[in-house]
Amino acid sequence: FSKVTANAAELEREQQGRVALRERYLRSLLAMVGRPVSFTMYEKVSVTALFGASDIDVLNFQVSELQTPLGVQKEAVLRCSDIVAYSFEL
Amino acid sequence: MTAWQKKTPLEWLTYVNKEVGVLAAEKHKYQGWVLTVDPVSANILLAHPLENGKMSISAVLGHAVQDVEILTEADDEMKEKLAHLFMPEEM
Repeated sequence: FSKVTANAAELEREQQGRVALRERYLRSLLAMVGRPVSFTMYEKVSVTALFGASDIDVLNFQVSELQTPLGVQKEAVLRCSDIVAYSFEL
Repeated sequence: MTAWQKKTPLEWLTYVNKEVGVLAAEKHKYQGWVLTVDPVSANILLAHPLENGKMSISAVLGHAVQDVEILTEADDEMKEKLAHLFMPEEM
């Protein structure tokens, strides 16, 4: 019985941690909306774009004014699996 | 799944407010103060104070993280700064 309650307490702590981490990440995405963001992609490709939105499981980023070596793409979706890192200024 | 993606939320929490060096895919390296780790994607969010008083924010995607090394622990002033970064303005 005590083992079960210990596990429940552990699970509760883990869930609280998950919520705190997730909320901060979602707020960072909100703070990024409309800002120029530099994306470092695989194969040494770098692009910049204005951030629009992300889907809830963070698999895709919707951006606009994507600056590519071939010109400016008005609207685009970047697959997160193609991205190594991104950065912006606050 | 990489070792970084397999960590639990409580393990990721131990990195928050620490200055870390991150080794990412294709030998990219990043350094900064950990703001959070998204528990869904394992993306690690770093803050880097700039000379002009602004803050540079970078995120390394969870799938691209190869190694995270803890360098230093934030002092109270830095913790305060990091805590307020994305919070809504209080009226």
